[in-house]
Amino acid sequence: MDQVVSLLAASVRFATPMLFAALGAILSEQAGVFAVGLEGMMLAGAFGAAVAASATGSDVAGLLASLAAGGLVGIVVGLVALRFRADQMVTGLAVNMLAAGSTSFLLRVLHHGSAPVIALPLINAWAIPGLAAIPLLGSLFRQPPLTLLAFAAFVPVSWFLTSTHAGLRLRGAGENPNAAYVAGHDPGRTRLVATIAGASIAGLGGAVLVLQQVGTYTDAMTGGRGFLALAAVIVGRWQPGATLVACLAFGAAEALELRVEIFGLPLSSYTVEMLPYLVAVLVLAAFGRSVRMPAALGRAYDPGQPG
Amino acid sequence: MTARLVVAVMELPAFRAVLALLLAMLCTGILVALAGASPVAALQAVMAGAFGSIDRIAYGLNRAAIYILGGTGVVLCFRAGIINIGGEGQIALGGLCAGWAVLRHPGAGPMLSVTSGLLGGMLGGLAWAVLAAIIHVVRRVNEVVVTLLMNFIAGLLVEVALHGPLGEVGAGFLQSPPLPSASRLPLLVEGTDLHAGILAAIAVALLAQLLLRRSGPGFALRVLGESHRAAAYAGFSRIRLTIGLMALAGALAGLAGAVEVLGVQQRVVDGFSRGFGFNAIAVALLAALEPWATIPAGLFFAFLETGTRTMQRRIGIPASLVVVTQALTMLFVLAAMAGAGRKGARSARPAIAG
Amino acid sequence: MPAASGLAGHARSHNLLELRGIEKRYGTVLANAGIDLDVPPGSVVGLLGENGSGKSTLMKILFGVVPADRGGIVFRQQELSGHTPAEAIAAGIGMVHQHFMLFDGMSVAENVLLGLGGRGRLRLADAAMAIRRTSETYGLDLDPAAIVGDLPLGSRQRVEIVKALMRDVQLLILDEPTSNLAPPEVARLLAICSRLRDEGRSIIFISHKLGEVLEICGHIVVLRDGRVVARCDGSASRAELARLMVGRDPPPPLARAAHAAGKPLLALRGIELSMSDTASSGSICFEVREGEILAIAGVDGNGQHELGRSIAGLQRPRAGSIRLGNEDVTRWSVGARVAAGLAYVPADRATTSLVPRLSVAENLMLRDCTRPPFGQHGVLWPSALRRVARAAMAAYAIRARSGSMPAGQLSGGNQQKIVLAREIGRQPRVLVVLQPTWGLDPETTGFVMAQILRLRDAGAAILYISSELDEVLALGDRIGVMAGGRLVDIMERAHANSDRLGLMMGSSAHGSAA
Repeated sequence: MDQVVSLLAASVRFATPMLFAALGAILSEQAGVFAVGLEGMMLAGAFGAAVAASATGSDVAGLLASLAAGGLVGIVVGLVALRFRADQMVTGLAVNMLAAGSTSFLLRVLHHGSAPVIALPLINAWAIPGLAAIPLLGSLFRQPPLTLLAFAAFVPVSWFLTSTHAGLRLRGAGENPNAAYVAGHDPGRTRLVATIAGASIAGLGGAVLVLQQVGTYTDAMTGGRGFLALAAVIVGRWQPGATLVACLAFGAAEALELRVEIFGLPLSSYTVEMLPYLVAVLVLAAFGRSVRMPAALGRAYDPGQPG
Repeated sequence: MTARLVVAVMELPAFRAVLALLLAMLCTGILVALAGASPVAALQAVMAGAFGSIDRIAYGLNRAAIYILGGTGVVLCFRAGIINIGGEGQIALGGLCAGWAVLRHPGAGPMLSVTSGLLGGMLGGLAWAVLAAIIHVVRRVNEVVVTLLMNFIAGLLVEVALHGPLGEVGAGFLQSPPLPSASRLPLLVEGTDLHAGILAAIAVALLAQLLLRRSGPGFALRVLGESHRAAAYAGFSRIRLTIGLMALAGALAGLAGAVEVLGVQQRVVDGFSRGFGFNAIAVALLAALEPWATIPAGLFFAFLETGTRTMQRRIGIPASLVVVTQALTMLFVLAAMAGAGRKGARSARPAIAG
Repeated sequence: MPAASGLAGHARSHNLLELRGIEKRYGTVLANAGIDLDVPPGSVVGLLGENGSGKSTLMKILFGVVPADRGGIVFRQQELSGHTPAEAIAAGIGMVHQHFMLFDGMSVAENVLLGLGGRGRLRLADAAMAIRRTSETYGLDLDPAAIVGDLPLGSRQRVEIVKALMRDVQLLILDEPTSNLAPPEVARLLAICSRLRDEGRSIIFISHKLGEVLEICGHIVVLRDGRVVARCDGSASRAELARLMVGRDPPPPLARAAHAAGKPLLALRGIELSMSDTASSGSICFEVREGEILAIAGVDGNGQHELGRSIAGLQRPRAGSIRLGNEDVTRWSVGARVAAGLAYVPADRATTSLVPRLSVAENLMLRDCTRPPFGQHGVLWPSALRRVARAAMAAYAIRARSGSMPAGQLSGGNQQKIVLAREIGRQPRVLVVLQPTWGLDPETTGFVMAQILRLRDAGAAILYISSELDEVLALGDRIGVMAGGRLVDIMERAHANSDRLGLMMGSSAHGSAA
């Protein structure tokens, strides 16, 4: 029982970076911009957080830096994929490479080539009063603050998308940007803002990883979590609630990976690691085109050619 | 008249690719300077690292073979409007299948061993790509998403295999036992590591150029890349073309993986092909989606990579700079090509100009 | 919702809208060559003209979708220039685009709210109530919770109209509003229009259909080649308007050899078309014989495209069989039908029958690259292609610098000549052709029709589908009419005249007994 509860608690913790990344991806993709660059945004965020936090000793500075670093990657996407209307997916791959290369390069430049890691103190867990005292399950409610923030953030984002004018405009830009334009909106700007905001939030996911989960920054430390979050958005079919569940399930898979031997499972940790991607492909194949993805997702919007 | 000529030249894909490349190099030079080194010294170090000895050149040419093979497949897919970004997984599985095919016949002679390795690699990559194509065509799921996700599954499949049936017992990390020496690709220059892969890659790129320009299927795929409706009207089957093209690209990527395993690594090592597939996309873009141009573009990327390693040792600039340069090249080419798509009809490429 | 306002403040002598000297050039084409247009308050102004006459361009300029090169716009005594759609909307202009600008995945209420704009929280329930109220007032019959993508085209148009009404527009632009509507829906739309006019709003009604324009419009402006060629009131005669619109007399009688038609080459038996929105009623049966033109008239959107696509093999009919010569080709592929001698010219040049970014020569081999003279066994013969291209360019007077020039850089007429050169040049046994003269100048139109007649005289069977009555009457040996996805009737050439055809074209799509 203890093992199960600890597994659940770990699932929630492991899911946290993905939760932020997935939120960012939902914003960007509901506006019609593929978030293939999510991995790079997270990595940039993690790097920014590590550098700023270790330089200032302040976690808040780290979080702010992660927002800025993620947003910077979003600006590159906006420039190439939106301003120049290049293919969004290929642009996403390129910014992933850019983030991987430049963080690695800068880390070594900053450290003059020696021991390319940044070690930081971990953010402590908070106990939710009352709930944390429940016997057996209590540890589920002793979570670090950013984890609590990630869960909390799903509510306003979900509300924003479905119940505000700005959210409706955002979805409009992803559904039919030409119609949005003749309805008097500026879908190009909406897409740009959504991309950059989404990238910043994804950057925050990177900060969670380094400040609250791992405690050291190393090269390419996001290790595919950005792509996992992307898969979670697909499995969650672009809806915040379902995406949250998918992120938790993927977090559980990650937690299980480390416990394969404890639980004596007849699987290798690699097989467990494969599960999220496998599930994502199977969900896509099963639902096929009935998956309601934003209609203009991935399609360039050319303001010169409405109609 | 000259003004018109200048405009015409500026609309050429080749001009735009070269311009993008120069911009990327310029940015790299600035980064080097910011890191406190002389760009000139860095360039000298890169040149020395890339061409300084026969062994360095051999290493670069071997790597170029991978990029040209993979890049050619990407070019063909992109020209048909199929954004296949599954090269990463197809190369990895190709390498795995090549190793597996060789290890199944430990006593085989060179002829059989090499052939079965290459064939196994091609079939492995082909099968993985066709699976993605079927999900894409039959279930109408976006091909980018499918191929992207399948890259991760392929990478993990390699690890599962190396952890289990194909792993070397007691190796300490994930790798297969060494392959029998009979499976080694024939060498072009005795005493070096330069294998025949580069010749095969060049031949493949030129054949692909012929396919695109001088064959019915090549014409069909160009029409498909322009308009699905026009392709249907012309009587070309989108489903058959898509699956066929993905099969071809997958086979080429698988061949690239096999060439790396049989020609360079001589065993399957975890992560042996990391980044190859994405670099192949960069090569295809730099080649302005012309098959023949993957030859210079692949050579450039390969030598840039080998050269940068030396730069790190000589003047202390981190080798990861090469990844930045590659990414910047890709981004500049994307912006330049898409920009051309709006103005000039000839230079535009459907898949990339969106 | 703001109450209707502003009208009382206007002196009656002032126009609601004045366009002065609007000019717009696209490349070599002068789409608008200095157009003046006045719209008085409380009026319906008909903008009449053929495809390509510059109507849509003018309205896009007015609505701020594209900028004018020259000219001025005054709306409610306010200068509009270099404005965006957002500013046009704010000024009180609404536009229902020919291709609806809606968000298919969203509900009617969300669509309306996106059109209304606003800040802060969405008030979906309030919006739903307002939509119900507005749609009841005007008899629009809309469910605010319905997903737009699930609605038929007529309802989608009403969503657009509700959007405009709820913004309290003073000027509503309707761009070809009846092109996708069945006759009862057209009547409903016209009723809404007169009601809006009676409320003191103005409407610009764009159409190329004379009957509707005459019925609803108090003022009519006729455009041709980007210029205003006439201004008249609602009492103008139909024939006069038609002449003004086309600016030429109906095509001169073409010399046609009288000969008896031979054996049937194309035969349709019990074909039921798969239509995208409305269910087709009834089946289609006809034969086209050697050396005969069967011309089919009808309002666009009554199944003509589906018929053409079904014969060409691009879509499967729900039932029935198609015979080509002695063979049942119902299940044959597109390529097999081409090889068996079936040529097909679809209406859509921009995305189907021509690939703009491929060269003229490559477009000439679009459907024949596997056959001599273009190639064999999958290998293309480039020198043969160049030779064929030179010959075709000479024979069909295709004006291009060379065969390697991208086809998209040619004029519409030259593009259509490429398509005809390819389809007729193959010497087909059967030709199916849809709207081949859309957007062409008179000279090219005459050329196209002469080519088709020549093919008939050479013994081919031709199915000529067009919404232009003049062409149908000039070309057909027998003449049929399509309405609501089925063939209403076929008559001999001698029995056909435009009144009779017009009557049949207007017969209800869901006609109980035509």
